[in-house]
Amino acid sequence: MQAQTLNRRWPWVAIVLSLTIAFVFAMISPAADSLQGFERVRIMYVHVPAAWLAYLAFFVTFGGSVGYLITRNLRWDRIAAASAEIGVYFTGLAIALGMIWGKSTWGVWWTWDARLTLTAIMFFVYLGYLALRRTTDDSVLRAGRAAVLGVLGAVQIPLVHFSVIWWRGLHQGPSVVRADGPAIQDPLMLTALIVGVLAFTVVYVSLMVKRIELIHLEDRKAAIDQSIERPVAGEAVTVPDLGGSS
Amino acid sequence: MTTGFWHQVTAVINRDLLRERRRGDVLWITIPFGAIALLLVPLAIGTDAILLRQIGPGMYWVIVMLFGVLVAVGKASSETLPQQDASALLGLDPAAGFVGRAASATLLLLIFETVVGLVAVGLYDVSIVGVPWLIITLLIVAIGLALLGTLTGSIVNSTSAGTALVPLLVAPLSVPLLLGATQSYEGLRLGHSILSWVLLMAAVVLVVAIIGVLTARPLQET
Repeated sequence: MQAQTLNRRWPWVAIVLSLTIAFVFAMISPAADSLQGFERVRIMYVHVPAAWLAYLAFFVTFGGSVGYLITRNLRWDRIAAASAEIGVYFTGLAIALGMIWGKSTWGVWWTWDARLTLTAIMFFVYLGYLALRRTTDDSVLRAGRAAVLGVLGAVQIPLVHFSVIWWRGLHQGPSVVRADGPAIQDPLMLTALIVGVLAFTVVYVSLMVKRIELIHLEDRKAAIDQSIERPVAGEAVTVPDLGGSS
Repeated sequence: MTTGFWHQVTAVINRDLLRERRRGDVLWITIPFGAIALLLVPLAIGTDAILLRQIGPGMYWVIVMLFGVLVAVGKASSETLPQQDASALLGLDPAAGFVGRAASATLLLLIFETVVGLVAVGLYDVSIVGVPWLIITLLIVAIGLALLGTLTGSIVNSTSAGTALVPLLVAPLSVPLLLGATQSYEGLRLGHSILSWVLLMAAVVLVVAIIGVLTARPLQET
């Protein structure tokens, strides 16, 4: 019984623990930045991990979609669907935090920078993916169609990632993964950022486990619902009493 | 129908064009709708001739993207499930069906682009520059939109949302085409090379075409 409870609760425990550690690191890292100033620099410790995890999530959706198209195993579809949902959440979080940071730093909520615009487009592509899934009840039909869109949508991922290199804009270029080493000089800031990414990865994995489980249960429920024979009209409709003798 | 691939493609094109000739969806509904949209914009933002000349090309491409999708989707989703089953039983190669539907949509989109373009020239005083490159741009945009519309139309076909979902799927994916088209026109107007933009649009077309052909059979089976 205890093992069962632990098994059910470990994702939530992992999420709380990892986010607490990331929060502590973000708080003890130096606050003032010569360019960004004051506390707003701490937005980076959530914004950057959220953006990285969004890429990972959509890449997993792509992998799940390809996996389904090759094997026709619904397990791949569940992975793709769960990952897309979490990816949309992380993308929305990255955009929202980016806008807050942009308002305080650039003076505007939004600017037509390539990275920002392409990220917003990627967000809408995967919103469309989730909307498509909601329009089809049959799990096999839904999996096939969503898989094609999952492959098509993945074209956006490298475009968004490399947009800061290909086009000049306000958004800064890569800060950590660079050929000449990380651009962030302060080791504590860099550590806080990496810890943030690791913590968000734990959140992602934990949410994936729970969501896949839930989708599996939803599919089973739908299958049971379909197998139960029900009267076409139900009890709401009764045979009209036309009077007269029977 | 166990004939060659291109013969099947031609048959699908003929079928779609015949259907369009009989029903006139594009000619009598989508094209007038696009022209009305171009007419409404100046009423909303003002009729200043200089302003309209500036925004005219951009407005034209936005109208082409948003309304052009309807042209492609209309062709892709007009097949009912029994019709699709009949095509499959006749031995129609799903990839040939996809290419055929996209090709007929391309032809209709070219007509749409031409008529709406003339309306834009008339209403917004848009200047026509670099005709050969402009034709190439129009052609690539038509092919790209047709492929995107046909692919997404196949994906949403017979879902509960039907074609209502398609604009949400196509609009973000068609952004590279919109950027390429508007920047190409701007480049032609300023006398710059537009090769990089044309290559960007061609790359998008190629990727969507490959995905469309490769996924035609899985989509038919679902």
